[in-house]
Amino acid sequence: MIGAVVLVLGFVLFQALTSARVFFRNVDEAVAERAELGDQTFRMQGVVVSEPAEDNRGAITFAIAFNDVEAEIVHVGEEPSDLFELGMPVVVEGHWQGDLFTSQQILVKHSESYVADNEERPGVGENGVDGEPASDPGVG
Amino acid sequence: MTTEMSPESEATQPPRHAGGSESPMFSSTASKVTSVLGWMSIVAIGALLTLGLLISPPEVSQGESVRLFYIHVPSAIVCLYIAFSITLVGSIIYLRNQSVFWDLVAGASAEVGVLFLAFTLATGMLWGKPTWGTYWTWDPRLTSTAVSFILYLGYLAVRRLDMDPVARSRRAAVLGIVSFANLIIIRFSVQWWRSLHQGATIDPRDTQLDDSMLASFFLGLVAMTLTFAWLVVHRFRVAWLEHQLEASQLETAIAERTAAAGPSTGLAPGGA
Repeated sequence: MIGAVVLVLGFVLFQALTSARVFFRNVDEAVAERAELGDQTFRMQGVVVSEPAEDNRGAITFAIAFNDVEAEIVHVGEEPSDLFELGMPVVVEGHWQGDLFTSQQILVKHSESYVADNEERPGVGENGVDGEPASDPGVG
Repeated sequence: MTTEMSPESEATQPPRHAGGSESPMFSSTASKVTSVLGWMSIVAIGALLTLGLLISPPEVSQGESVRLFYIHVPSAIVCLYIAFSITLVGSIIYLRNQSVFWDLVAGASAEVGVLFLAFTLATGMLWGKPTWGTYWTWDPRLTSTAVSFILYLGYLAVRRLDMDPVARSRRAAVLGIVSFANLIIIRFSVQWWRSLHQGATIDPRDTQLDDSMLASFFLGLVAMTLTFAWLVVHRFRVAWLEHQLEASQLETAIAERTAAAGPSTGLAPGGA
């Protein structure tokens, strides 16, 4: 009995994860499916290819690209994490609005490699790697 | 070990199954083994805090939050690879020979494993916020891990069902085996599906880590494993004492009933 319940649960999980419901679409796929997607909410993945800028209404605008296809993003949601910057792979959640993608959430994909910051001691204050002050040195 | 510790007969059988002189009868759950394990755990945790928080460097893009790596990943490894594997093995052995010892080992390991899984989820969420930008998202790895958490909570609930102990242990053992399948999904989720969660950093051939970061990680693994072992031994001994108490209460209850009502009375669990 329990075995059957667990098998069904596993099956549902497998289906949910494999079928059309992928966690994100890549930019090229999302652009190709723009017509079908309409104003439906979905996640789109790509690498940030233009320096993010804040417009006069507080939205962050930038472009992401995948497989040489680019999309313009207007982010109106919550502030992204401090890792968000040019060159980072991100997953944006939102919907197409004409040729623009309106994003409610930016998730920054971190790679599996970790590189030691060159300073001797865990930095209090500036960490000076990308010219950006470490915002919150006391996390650990 | 199995044979000397586990009675041939089950708890429903009144005869003195735990009464053999070789059966360990703990007066406390502490022993030389646990005090050695305990001290080693404390020393390892102290060393981990020093190396992980003070000596190892921050990471180039993540900064200080990389330090969560040294507890998040080891605790995930301990619960997914060690704790629930012990539950799997214990469950299989139990189904083969009804060994109470292995039933209780499976249960104790799952209990501490769930604790480590909760810790893994909690540290993952704390790490997700500053790096990804969110505490939680329904990414394949996160979703499958949450499912495992619920499955093993269910396993622990089944172990506490008010029913015939043998049937209950058998049911729990089946669940302990089936739940393991989902761990394989967790393991490969980042390869099978598109995922926000990163893949493995510790690759035997090509580790992408700075030396002191790698040392912190392995120290974390040692500290978590020792702590797990320490807790499991204690938890198992409590379960063993509980089992013996229940068995002796059952014997008394049956003896009382037999004396009062004559031989027609059947077995009534919970009668004590």
